[in-house]
Amino acid sequence: MAEMSVTIMNRNGLHARPAAEIVRAAAKFKSDITIVRDDLEVNGKSIMGVMMLAAECGCTLQLRASGPDENQALEEIAGIIQSKFGEH
Amino acid sequence: MRHRIIADGEIASEVERFRKALLDAGERLRNVRARAEKRAGPEEAAIFDVQITILQDPELRDAVESYIRQNLCAEKSFDLVMLEWRQNFARHSMPMMRERVGDLTDIQIRVLSLLLGLPDHDPVELPKGAGAILVTHDLTPSLTVQLDPDAIAGIATDAGTRTSHVAILARSLGLPAVVGLRTATTRLVGGERVVLDGFTGTLSVTPTDAEVAAYLRRAEFEAASEAELREQAGEVAITSDGTEVTIRANVDLPEEAEQAATSGADGVGLMRTEFLVVGRATMPDEEEQVRAYVKVVRAFGGRPVIIRTFDVGGDKLPVGGFPVEANPFLGWRAIRMCLDQPELFKTQLRALLRAGLEGDVRIMLPLVVTLDELRASRALLAEAAAELAERGIEHSPSLSLGVMIETPAAALMADAFAAEADFLSIGTNDLVQYTLAVDRGNVNLATRFTPLHPSVLRLIARVAEAGKAADVDVSVCGEMASEPLSAFCLVGLGLRHFSVAPRSVPLVKRVVRGLSIAIAEEAARAALLATSPEIAEQELRRRLLAAFGDAAFLRDELSGSE
Repeated sequence: MAEMSVTIMNRNGLHARPAAEIVRAAAKFKSDITIVRDDLEVNGKSIMGVMMLAAECGCTLQLRASGPDENQALEEIAGIIQSKFGEH
Repeated sequence: MRHRIIADGEIASEVERFRKALLDAGERLRNVRARAEKRAGPEEAAIFDVQITILQDPELRDAVESYIRQNLCAEKSFDLVMLEWRQNFARHSMPMMRERVGDLTDIQIRVLSLLLGLPDHDPVELPKGAGAILVTHDLTPSLTVQLDPDAIAGIATDAGTRTSHVAILARSLGLPAVVGLRTATTRLVGGERVVLDGFTGTLSVTPTDAEVAAYLRRAEFEAASEAELREQAGEVAITSDGTEVTIRANVDLPEEAEQAATSGADGVGLMRTEFLVVGRATMPDEEEQVRAYVKVVRAFGGRPVIIRTFDVGGDKLPVGGFPVEANPFLGWRAIRMCLDQPELFKTQLRALLRAGLEGDVRIMLPLVVTLDELRASRALLAEAAAELAERGIEHSPSLSLGVMIETPAAALMADAFAAEADFLSIGTNDLVQYTLAVDRGNVNLATRFTPLHPSVLRLIARVAEAGKAADVDVSVCGEMASEPLSAFCLVGLGLRHFSVAPRSVPLVKRVVRGLSIAIAEEAARAALLATSPEIAEQELRRRLLAAFGDAAFLRDELSGSE
């Protein structure tokens, strides 16, 4: 299993559109992907799950992946979050 | 929803039926998305990406299928899961998430109609020329963007009043609308034959053939008189005693500009910009705003285009939702919000300065109540120009900056504003609402929303005088300017610039051509001295009828406002 922590940096946080972007990226990978905030753990391939994280700007998330492409999966998802989803 | 139990042997086919409904719903949504993209652009279409992703959610599929495996039918299983998810979102800590409940409701209706084999009521799935009447509880700006005026003949809503944004949006789409019916959605099941009469504000359900024939004859007559008005719409509007009145158009969406330019309007008197913002996930950046403004400026080829800075708040939600306020119309909105978020405001001002290179762009500030707000905006406009110069981007050195008079505070200080602003523009819908303390969106107060209340007329007269004394243009934008009776009164109060819905331009021009300043002034004086809105209206009506006789183009307008 691979693990990585990322901080949400876009001002509006992880609202619906960014959540959809993460989920679309996660769906491309074979690995199981989970995202954890404090004690809430959700399926990274479920938009409803990702939206329920209510991750605001400045909040830190743990990304976990396990499967054949776990490292690429984490890298790509972390990259999307770090690029602020093209927002400010 | 019926709680149907299925046999063990049916489980596999029930799961199949559910999966097919999800796929079909996704397919329909992709069609909707493609149409929204064509009609309103990629940003509006992005709203549907979220819904498409929800349909593909593995957790949704698993949860529903687990109910089905416990012998519950597909529609009940799906309904239970959606109910639970909607509750989670409705209680969410982020306001932005609470707004997503609408997306879930939309998906729920879409999938359930497929599972239950119900007729498709999706307004965007109708073929062109369907002539459908959309009956809905309320019309949100994001739903409006999806409507196809070629398929929908009219709109009826339970909520709203004639000056609420539903009505304004419908008017800008050129669709007849009857709002505030309260129980239309519960009394109709869909598929009935109905007649929508926008003049009398009625929706007749299952009319007789004779009634339908009578309505068709009237529609023909109205089309003929409208065609006659349109023929003369390109000419200037000059009163019978030789005073010119400019009639400009209100524009809500850049896409409407070209059509609005053919209405005969002498430019744009009010371009609303909040429709760039509502229903969106992110603020439009400078480039996108430049494109939107330039589109409108070019459509009007050199005629003045007055663009109002973001009037967000009240009943128009911005990106990311809005803090819940007890009194949104008295809250953090319009110029107040823009001045508190100078970067957001300057992005818009920079885009306006750049669009200014293409024609006569003027900026109008909403809900100003103090001179400081005008001064601070002017300072930010100068900063925005300096930032563009620093980046080496071409722009107008400055633009004409006006304020909207929408509150008694601004109207009473009109002389001070006239001394510093480049122009004044009276927003009658808000001025009436704030003067009379009557919520324009409250169905129960609809009869108390009286634009011809003498207190409103006195405030307007005061603004007109202040403008004249300072030699500053005063215009009126708002529903009032588009009604013959009120337009007659406004000319009498000294106003010479109106901005109305594009469809109303020919009618208002016709009214102006038929009146003389002398008669209008006498009528306005009588209305100002009236002791009630009813008496003011009678004074005006009597003189308007005397001036025009029983003119066909006025008949419905006048009877409709009884």
